[in-house]
Amino acid sequence: MDDMSFAASAPLSIGIELELQLVRPHDLDLSRGAGDLLARLGRRKLPGAVKPEITESMIELNTSVHTRCAALAAELDLMRRAVVEDAGLLNLRVSGGGAHPFHDWSDRRIFPNERFLYIVERYGYLAKQFTVFGQHIHVGCPGGDEAVYLVHMMTRYLPHFIALSAASPYYQGQDTSFQSSRLTAVSAFPLAGHMPFVQSWSEFLEYFAKMRRSGIVASMKDFYWDIRPKPEYGTIEIRVCDTPLTVKRAALLAAYAQALAAWHLAERPREPVREAYLFNSHNRFEACRYGLGGEIVQPYSGEKKKIGEDILETLDALAPHAAGLECGEPLAEIAAGVRAGHSDAQWLRARRRARGSLADVVRDACENWERGDRK
Amino acid sequence: MAVEFLPALPPAISQPAMFGALLVLGLLAGEAARRYLSLPRITGYVIAGAALGPHGSGLLTDNLLFDLRLLVDLSIGLIVFELGFRLDFDWLKRNRWLFATAVAESLFSFWAIYAALAYFGFRPLLAAMAAAIGTATSPAVVMLVAHELRAEGQVTERMLLFTAVNSVFAFVALALLLPFLHLEHAASWQRALLHPLYLLAGSSLAGSVACLLLLRLAAWLGKSEERQFVLFVAMVVVTVGVAHALKLSVNLTLITLGMLSRNLDRGHVLLPLRFGHGAQLFFVILFVLIGASLEFSAFDAVAAAMVAAFIVVRFLGKGLAILLLGPLSGIRPGGAGLLSVALVPLSGSAVVMVHDTVSFFPAFGKELATVVLSAVVVLELLGPLATQFALRRAGEAHPDG
Repeated sequence: MDDMSFAASAPLSIGIELELQLVRPHDLDLSRGAGDLLARLGRRKLPGAVKPEITESMIELNTSVHTRCAALAAELDLMRRAVVEDAGLLNLRVSGGGAHPFHDWSDRRIFPNERFLYIVERYGYLAKQFTVFGQHIHVGCPGGDEAVYLVHMMTRYLPHFIALSAASPYYQGQDTSFQSSRLTAVSAFPLAGHMPFVQSWSEFLEYFAKMRRSGIVASMKDFYWDIRPKPEYGTIEIRVCDTPLTVKRAALLAAYAQALAAWHLAERPREPVREAYLFNSHNRFEACRYGLGGEIVQPYSGEKKKIGEDILETLDALAPHAAGLECGEPLAEIAAGVRAGHSDAQWLRARRRARGSLADVVRDACENWERGDRK
Repeated sequence: MAVEFLPALPPAISQPAMFGALLVLGLLAGEAARRYLSLPRITGYVIAGAALGPHGSGLLTDNLLFDLRLLVDLSIGLIVFELGFRLDFDWLKRNRWLFATAVAESLFSFWAIYAALAYFGFRPLLAAMAAAIGTATSPAVVMLVAHELRAEGQVTERMLLFTAVNSVFAFVALALLLPFLHLEHAASWQRALLHPLYLLAGSSLAGSVACLLLLRLAAWLGKSEERQFVLFVAMVVVTVGVAHALKLSVNLTLITLGMLSRNLDRGHVLLPLRFGHGAQLFFVILFVLIGASLEFSAFDAVAAAMVAAFIVVRFLGKGLAILLLGPLSGIRPGGAGLLSVALVPLSGSAVVMVHDTVSFFPAFGKELATVVLSAVVVLELLGPLATQFALRRAGEAHPDG
């Protein structure tokens, strides 16, 4: 079980993975340019990494590890520039957003590497339908027990991350009425859901060993949980976010995760309780469906609250910890956005109303991402 | 006793019946080529046409082919329009080496063919005209093969871009050679200068006017795929008709319309264009008719060496330019070679160009015809195969395509 030992990482360090859409300009549908683009980007010296994803219409940016949100944002911006420049030479456009508004999943082509071919073989059409685009946020933990604790604690805040990042209102050419339709594609996988209610890293290892012995999983990668420990990096990984429409917003979300983790590790304001998971799928649905306006049940008090309100209260509670991490400014920006009721999903819908077609929505989303900040 | 309600024997076959029959036969031959021989469907259409044509069974006579000429122009018009509509000037601005490579590709193949024909003793003017015609890749073949394979990727994109560029190059070069032709036939210098001017300026003007009209009408009609589809087809048909009536170049007019529609639409009133299954009708009939007009009789043993040289140097010219400059524009090393192969199909419009020249200058056209028309025969059969091979080998064909 050596490979499952929890690696050392700087506590509260952050890093993100961003899955991006590759779009062809002539009809604004998804392209299959990942192979050519990756070959070009491979010749550059970039601080992070750029990797293939399940279909040839996607690439994934991985940042390196940072302790400060500002540095993460600067690095992301550097990578954005490189990707946009190389994509431009190949007549490809790049966009954020959790799902392409009108692509047909059956057109997708699997990126030919061993793991992805296995996933197709195993999951059939789910694999191609998995052409959705998410942001994963890693937060460094001092050890495995802390990681297990943080996973339980952060579960309570998953609706926040869903609502703050929601950017997939359209799917397969239709308005889904959801703010984030992407998570539905994830839920279809049998190993989606959440970590079982274990209390320590050793207990987690027992569970994992049992699953591996029974042949259900081979590695941590096989769990499609909303949030999971990632022992090889020494982090917890939040996986519910849609890729936002700008790198700037992606960095804000990382700052929020970092501050939440800092607060919980420093103060341990609550202890994990099994009941907290009772409301999990309801709260997750509310966040996907209604975004900031969704009503979630507080796992500890049982009271109902709007997600937006809950975020603002949480931000107040975090404030003392934000200063030390130099992330006061990004958190203030999140708060301002919540007060204004802003979301990427609403912005996409507004573009649709203003422009009249989903192709225009894609074009505007590309422009946004390529510029790095919202219009 | 005459029975009035029965038709006279043999019954006269109407044009619609003929059109339908050609369509069905082409379709069957295309499917057979695909299913039993793994050939591109186009090859099947062409063979069906050749079998029915004046040089085959003779069911399709020269007169009938002449009557159907407008149909050919319409089909080519649709294809060339769609090709122009794919051409994004922004890409050329962002990737200057790409444009340089495309221009070099045209220049190299022009000079290579010119030099080869001059070596075989053709007069410079004749060699230059054949070289201009030979520079163009067939828009119809590359578009159709790409459609059929659902190909997508850098080789496909660049193949379409280079085809657009070398088609424009060929039309313009041909127009610029016209004055010399006129002068050789003792026309006045005014006439010699006015003809290319009329062709080039007239075609681009007609295309531009049609584009402005298209953009205005589309803005008024709003963003509905159905309405815009009908508008696209209607504008293409009208523009082909007008170009035809004004004796302009259908190709140049329609490619102008396509390119400008993509690049002048700054407000994005036009939706992405999907001709889809409807276009298939035109593709089938186009290649059946091209097959029928192939002139196997032009082919003779003496010409064979020249034809082979024409084909080989044309390929080498294209390949050399792309291999030299392609990597600078960001294509993968293997991709450059495959791109050269994909560009092999010779424009079926070459037949039209040759016939136009023949009709203007009968004696002159005949000489030109031997080499070019024979090359067309060979490349009409090999070209689709080459493109299909290149796109498959590049991994850009859809697994089910």
